[in-house]
Amino acid sequence: MKNVGSGEEKLETAISYLLISGVALSLTLIAAGIIFYYLYYGNIGLSLTDQLMYIHGQDFFNFLWRLFMPDYSKPMAIQLMTAGMAVLLVMVYLRVIFSVVYFIWKRELWYVLITAFVLVVLTLSLALH
Amino acid sequence: MQMVNMVSLGIFSVFIGFLGALTGLGGASILIPLLILFGIPVKVAIASSMISIIATSAGSASAYVRDRITNVKIAMFLEAFTISGAIIGATITTFIPAVYLYFFFAAFLLTSFATVKQITGDYIPEVQQQDSVSKALGLKGSYYDEARKKIVEYRATNAIPGGLGMLVAGLAAGMLGIGAGAFKVTVHEVILKLPTKVSSTTSNFIIGMTALAATSVYLFSGLLNITLMAPVAVGTTIGALLGGRILNRLNDKIVKILFYIIVVLLIVQMLYKGVTSL
Repeated sequence: MKNVGSGEEKLETAISYLLISGVALSLTLIAAGIIFYYLYYGNIGLSLTDQLMYIHGQDFFNFLWRLFMPDYSKPMAIQLMTAGMAVLLVMVYLRVIFSVVYFIWKRELWYVLITAFVLVVLTLSLALH
Repeated sequence: MQMVNMVSLGIFSVFIGFLGALTGLGGASILIPLLILFGIPVKVAIASSMISIIATSAGSASAYVRDRITNVKIAMFLEAFTISGAIIGATITTFIPAVYLYFFFAAFLLTSFATVKQITGDYIPEVQQQDSVSKALGLKGSYYDEARKKIVEYRATNAIPGGLGMLVAGLAAGMLGIGAGAFKVTVHEVILKLPTKVSSTTSNFIIGMTALAATSVYLFSGLLNITLMAPVAVGTTIGALLGGRILNRLNDKIVKILFYIIVVLLIVQMLYKGVTSL
């Protein structure tokens, strides 16, 4: 018996599924990226001097937006690893949105305010850098 | 030339994710010194290790939330304080010399030993008389503890002091660029009186969100190296998934001992950084 207690099962189940599916997708993309990296570069060493290997000059939302823009200058390996990383980051953001929607649906005013506050502050901190 | 490649770094990261998932500490505090030891530049190591916090949080939380060990309502209440602290911390860090912060947070970590006597017994906090805020927000829960073979019921108390404690934990995260999981677990246990497993899993749930806010800064600064982050993300996620599967079967005592070992290392690390910065 695992479900004991206070009636938040739907939220917890939704968050759990979101995290499990996100983690699986992210791992698949990153692992595929590492394999492609090996096939393309012929090694699996860390590359700290090549600027192509760095993500920079953008905020979170701009980073996500640019994932949908085709960038032929980057090898498929880099694009796959970057996409896997993005899935991991987006999942955390999505679960905050999930929570707000859930508490609105449940009409729990205090938790609507709390989760909406977190969402607003998080969104601002992600957008303003 | 680095001492590691993606495969060896991935294997190290499995261990870090595993420990992070069990103790609620995220793992960046262990990973950063390790990366520096491997010849990775400090700033790149700090930035790229943020992904280990998020991966540990997501990987372990998927199991903990499903098993209802993580208390989602308590986590969401505390996140409001943590994220505020992180923003304030990131803002004021430019005005306060870091040297004082290291000593302050070393002292703060020492408070986690306030519950050290409890590791000698099979400890579950007494069901607390809740304060009015905790009661109004429904900060309570229960979970099936596989190690004890019974349902553990608990009620959080001291909601506002606990929230303020999480504000301080957020400050630590914002100022020092860490997940501050040790501070969060300490607040959960010492102030909110949550059981050990609920403390570490709820901390794990929260640190992912704090780390996401920090990652945005690093996205802008161009310090996120994809060849470093990819194996760390895969390794810590696998480690966290494994940790998430076994935590509920472990005795609280083992979880706490692991926690204290890492906290001692963190205190030494903070004091060392403080002394060498004088």
